[in-house]
Amino acid sequence: MLSENEVLRIENLSIQFGGLKAVDNLNFEIKQNEIFGLIGPNGAGKTTVFNCITQFYKPNQGSIYFRTKDGQVENLVKHKVHEIIRLGLVRTFQNVELVRELSILDNVLIGAHIDFKSTIVEQALRLPRARNEEKALREEAEMILRKLGIWERKDMIAFGQPYGILKKVEFARTLMCRPSLIILDEPAAGLNDVETAQLSEMIRTIRDEFNCSVLLVEHDMRLVMDVCDRICAISFGKFLAKGTPKEIQTNPVVQQAYLGTTEEDEHE
Amino acid sequence: MSHKEKKTSEKNFRTYIRNPYLQFIAFGLILLIVPTLASNFRFFKVGYITTIGVSLIYAIAALGLNVLLGWSGLISLGTAGFMGLASYLSAYITINMGLPFEVAMFAAVLIPTIIGILVGLISLKIEGLYLAIATLAVSEVLRKSFEEFEWLTNGFSGKAASYPTLFGFIQLDRASMYYFIVFVLIIVMLITYNIVNGQIGRALNAMRGSEAAAQAMGVNLLRYRLIAFAMATIFAAVSGVLYVHFIRYSYPSSWSLKLSLDFLAMIVIGGLRSIYGTVLGAFIVFAVPDMFLKQIPYFNQISYSLNGLLIILVIMFYPNGLVYIFKDIRNVWRKVIGKGKVKHVVRK
Amino acid sequence: MFNTYVVTFIFMRTGVPLWMAILGGVLSAIGFGLLIDLLVIRHTKKVSPVAKQIITLGLIMVVLGVTPLFFGVDPLNLPRLIQSGNMTIFGANISYNGLFNIIFGLVVMLILFFVLQKTKVGLAVRTTASNEYTARLMGVPTKTVTMGAWAVAGVLGVLAGVMIAPTTTVTLNLMDVVQINALIACVLGGFQTFYGPVLGAYIIGVSRNLLLVYYSSEWGGQVLYILILLLLVVRPYGLIGKKVVKKV
Repeated sequence: MLSENEVLRIENLSIQFGGLKAVDNLNFEIKQNEIFGLIGPNGAGKTTVFNCITQFYKPNQGSIYFRTKDGQVENLVKHKVHEIIRLGLVRTFQNVELVRELSILDNVLIGAHIDFKSTIVEQALRLPRARNEEKALREEAEMILRKLGIWERKDMIAFGQPYGILKKVEFARTLMCRPSLIILDEPAAGLNDVETAQLSEMIRTIRDEFNCSVLLVEHDMRLVMDVCDRICAISFGKFLAKGTPKEIQTNPVVQQAYLGTTEEDEHE
Repeated sequence: MSHKEKKTSEKNFRTYIRNPYLQFIAFGLILLIVPTLASNFRFFKVGYITTIGVSLIYAIAALGLNVLLGWSGLISLGTAGFMGLASYLSAYITINMGLPFEVAMFAAVLIPTIIGILVGLISLKIEGLYLAIATLAVSEVLRKSFEEFEWLTNGFSGKAASYPTLFGFIQLDRASMYYFIVFVLIIVMLITYNIVNGQIGRALNAMRGSEAAAQAMGVNLLRYRLIAFAMATIFAAVSGVLYVHFIRYSYPSSWSLKLSLDFLAMIVIGGLRSIYGTVLGAFIVFAVPDMFLKQIPYFNQISYSLNGLLIILVIMFYPNGLVYIFKDIRNVWRKVIGKGKVKHVVRK
Repeated sequence: MFNTYVVTFIFMRTGVPLWMAILGGVLSAIGFGLLIDLLVIRHTKKVSPVAKQIITLGLIMVVLGVTPLFFGVDPLNLPRLIQSGNMTIFGANISYNGLFNIIFGLVVMLILFFVLQKTKVGLAVRTTASNEYTARLMGVPTKTVTMGAWAVAGVLGVLAGVMIAPTTTVTLNLMDVVQINALIACVLGGFQTFYGPVLGAYIIGVSRNLLLVYYSSEWGGQVLYILILLLLVVRPYGLIGKKVVKKV
């Protein structure tokens, strides 16, 4: 199952679409407070892997063991997609999926959806419990926005905000539920060098301050090598290698998959 | 007063005015006064109270549709059917069964809502235009039932009802029924405001904006779809009960696709996701043609066309709803007073 | 509907043969469609799809209100193209006119399919429908395509009207039933293909009559609705429609 210091373990994960095996017998584990990277060339199946983890797809085979916020171990495959966040696992989206017509603060509050306990009637009549909940969670959302440096924009409509800001809002949203594992879906997509460096900082800060683990699915090699503690590389849905950034960089199998050559080939 | 004291009292006053709840109550008071004020002016015919009253009733149903379409992104062409069902049920229960108005209101809202929730279940599998047609099918079956089930509805001759008696002893007449309608409308507006600005509203918005993100954030799509459909049907049913006890008649031909489309027009013209906009839309689609366009002598013939023209023009110039005209008016006012920069407010 | 009135008008007032009156109606329909595009549709780029529906509703209201000014309120009569004569197919009686309608309808469909699928013009239409902005970047004259689409829509409308009119009379409500059933045919057949709605239309037409005659003349129409409802639950994208999966 899961050892003491692990927060997520994937065992024999497989999924196929029609005749195509998109993920083939994948195994890896993520330790507590670790920043873990999942890399692979285009079409390797990274997004499919993490759609399987978050139950947007149901894998055909395999188990996904996760240590929940309460310390229990759950097999995620047994849960529905909207239950995952309750266990303490959240994700971001590559195409930032915010509600354009709502303010930034409201968008962040969507992340607190599961924390609201008041019933429909209580909300309809704005009874004390609903009012207090709203107030408390609003304050927490504002605190997170302050931490990420975008508090000034809290009442602005999400539509039309710069891309970098929207990504921060998505981050803020994932932090609202105090997750134990955050999955970032290509967070560096569309960012320039400066912004990517800031992103590195932010990921580290989040890990430290919010005491969670991070699974980073990414293309941008600099970011991955810079910020990850360990990395798993896949290609065509199959496992390639696992290790520290240095180990992955020098791994011939990985180089072969990315570049089609190895160092030895080049010397000849 | 000193300058500082003056500023604080000004600020307090402004906070008072900005309080949305007080605004709703003020709006209600204005609506209450309208008939008495207007009866002092010669051009205001007595029948106009009926027109305004019906507009307010329609606004209630339209508000339900706005929750469904504007906030939750689900389309329904069945509003008329549910409103009609509630009207017949309430008429039957008060007249044929002789039960009190409150019982009728309860049952006439409960039964359509159950059907509405069933439709909501279907909405999980069917979306967009397909869902629209599915709701239309439900509405058409209901309308046919109104024509055929004569024991309940009196068929084509229409079903009669009377002004309600509240709490068993307060007998309403046309004027007091109007006040009752305003009262119900304001309550509905308040409830809608509370819900759409709280957690449920955010969940509905999320469902509309991005189903994937909503699910990732823990929103159970089935549950919130049902909530949306339930609210829309409850409002339509309440509206139906008020209608039959105000107009005191219900005909099957009223509950047609045309009415459902009118509701759609009301919320699009008035403003999707806008509470005041919905009331405005109800006025434009229903009251304006009845009260104003038919007055201008030659225009009576083509009042229908003019209504259509009005709809087209409003959408062309205010694609987000005519309610934003107030923002434009406010901006012009500020420029006139010379307040300088124009303020951009988050539209609630 | 408006243009069917035009046809009837021309036919009755000028006494030209019916087919020439129809031609006049077709020309008028083209002009009508162009007018709508130029005056209204051009200016409504930014609106949501629902709002666009409402605009078409508004247009319907305008036309409904204006038509009596031109043509009066009394119902008019338009004769069939082929006046009389029946034939028997498989033991059922069918008029020559009815047969003509069916064949004509199929021919029009086939021409449309051919143009849309096999010609450059058709390709232009399909690209514009798919993504107008990109189409324009690729050099497709989208404004002309849109104008053309409205003109063709108008022509198809008048042809449908002319085919329906002989079975009842020419009134304001002429096309009401047709419109709703057309919409339902699209839903039944699915929006993904071109032949889907055609299939849906034939199924609806036949089923409706069968139900009305053999099952119940009152509830026949509604039973059809219920059946379609059930069908949608089983096949949410129509008989032939395919689900477009959004990539997350």
